[in-house]
Amino acid sequence: MKILVCIKQVPDMESRFRPNGEKTWYDESDLAFRMNEYDEYAVEQAVQLKEQLGGEPEITVLSIGPERTVEAIKKALAMGGDRAVHIRDDRYYQKDPWQIASMIASYAKGEGFDLIFTGMQSQDRGSAQVGVIVAELLGVSCATTLVGFSYDGGTITVKRELEGGIKGVAKLKLPALVTCQLGLNTPRYPTLPNIMKAKKKEIASLTAAELTGEAELTATAAIYPPAKKGGGLVLEGEIGAQVDRLMGILKEKTAVLR
Amino acid sequence: MFLDLTEEQKLIQETARNFARSELEPLAAKLDREGDRPAFLANLKKLAELGFMGLNVQGEYGGSEAGVVAFSVAMTEIARACASTAVTVSVNNMVCEVIQAIGSQEQKEKYIPRICSGAYAAGSFALTETGAGSDPAGMTTTALLDGDSWVLNGSKIFITSAPYAGVFVVWAVTDREAPKGKGISCFLVEQGTPGLVIGKQEEKTGQHASATNELVFDNCRIPKDALMGKLNDGFRIAVAELGGGRIGIGSLALGVGLAAMDYATRYSAERVQFGQKISSFQAIQWKIADSYTELEAARLLLMNAAFRKESGRPFAKEASMAKLFATEAANRACYDAVQMLGGYGYTADFPVERYARDVRITSIYEGTSEIQRLIIAREILKNLS
Repeated sequence: MKILVCIKQVPDMESRFRPNGEKTWYDESDLAFRMNEYDEYAVEQAVQLKEQLGGEPEITVLSIGPERTVEAIKKALAMGGDRAVHIRDDRYYQKDPWQIASMIASYAKGEGFDLIFTGMQSQDRGSAQVGVIVAELLGVSCATTLVGFSYDGGTITVKRELEGGIKGVAKLKLPALVTCQLGLNTPRYPTLPNIMKAKKKEIASLTAAELTGEAELTATAAIYPPAKKGGGLVLEGEIGAQVDRLMGILKEKTAVLR
Repeated sequence: MFLDLTEEQKLIQETARNFARSELEPLAAKLDREGDRPAFLANLKKLAELGFMGLNVQGEYGGSEAGVVAFSVAMTEIARACASTAVTVSVNNMVCEVIQAIGSQEQKEKYIPRICSGAYAAGSFALTETGAGSDPAGMTTTALLDGDSWVLNGSKIFITSAPYAGVFVVWAVTDREAPKGKGISCFLVEQGTPGLVIGKQEEKTGQHASATNELVFDNCRIPKDALMGKLNDGFRIAVAELGGGRIGIGSLALGVGLAAMDYATRYSAERVQFGQKISSFQAIQWKIADSYTELEAARLLLMNAAFRKESGRPFAKEASMAKLFATEAANRACYDAVQMLGGYGYTADFPVERYARDVRITSIYEGTSEIQRLIIAREILKNLS
């Protein structure tokens, strides 16, 4: 079995974000980067499947980004990936999900992957489109927002998180692509010996130009912080009416009363 | 010149930080106040399984081969959450390294993997005695050869991890006629050896979860091959290994200092007095500026000492400088952190009083600040004579 895991390196979400000079992305100069959280679930699930199958599957890790991306790639290798492909692209943030997915599909096409894991979305751009577009371009079945996964004899059974707290179960035949959501698993800490051993694993290097000539379908016009709002919503009036109003809001907008 | 960590070092730092935040920090206040040894030891076991007990130890003995810089950054991250856990990890690493440096092949294969894997919760370093603290060569514990065994008599004090250590590295006088410091040898004594008595546990100011005990050797008989390294050459080894331990303790102090100042700084940006956030007062700003400047300087001194050791260069002076400066800077940072929280800083509802208690010992153990200054001056002056 050949498994591909697509990961992205994103800024630590505790960072303070500012638009860059061109106002088309955030300023990366003073940020700490780490692996996208959802991609950690993807790596973990792939490694668990490899363990379930006695180590037979080969896990390839793929990431698109500048030089620093290697750190996230090495983490995925330390968690249990076998080899990696780094698509070098300093201007990755100017590419829309279509272009990113086209690059991944262009690489994956000839490789014959049986199963592709991605995060549900990236924590920075958050489009949640790359995975599904890759599946479409490769013509493989696809399930998104996984909170459960099992594999048995060429078929995967997945539990998906749907809107409003509802879950759905789907069975897919391989080849397939799945996108992973919070709650699917608890990503392991890479052990220190594995971090050191990951140094010796292959990281093939490609350039973005080798993989796609696709033009963007969505151009980023501007990126800016939201305007500062006032101090939220203040409920007024008779106490019973306030409670009803609050219950209504919590039911509509949150999952706390479900 | 390149001052950044390598990708591997960054990943080790991230792993340590994530583990410390999720597993150690939630438990630290409870360990400090009421203790929970099973939980404390369970976390040590997890840290061992991740490879934190032998960072600078070869893979064939179960070590991580990650180097001294990685050891330093890992210690800092662990100490940010729990100083008791950090000191245990530091001592375990030091014990593994001393066995690796001077142990026989058999000793290395037997003991190092047990500490690295967590089969032993800890290893202990038994040098200090009631009459031999800053002056360890003044020790009086003796080891006399009797047939096929060494017989140990005497006592040690302030021994970290003694109740749950699997093995003790013990220094004892083997030639009472030799000049001071020349007749000391090093031994490996297993927990449970008849005649090895774990004595009173100290009631310390801080680092409560880490047990610190007296050890008594009452005709404690160990095999002849429990001698480690050369006979009568133990003191030189102890002094050399303490250099590495100093990098560990300096890094630990840095972690506690950062934890205290991070907490106090966030607090100052919320706490309002005289109608404004106290972070707008210059008196508070200077504490923040001075503390972070000193802690950053401490970090660079530690990185320098760690890098020198990792590169196989002499590092005794640099390790002492780093330990001296980092532990004193961290003590000042914790003092200021309490001050910034005012009365709340003196209560157990906020963590800074624990940081202030935990950090106090760092300028005392593994060589006091005064001893570090003697070492630094000696290293500088020896080039003139």
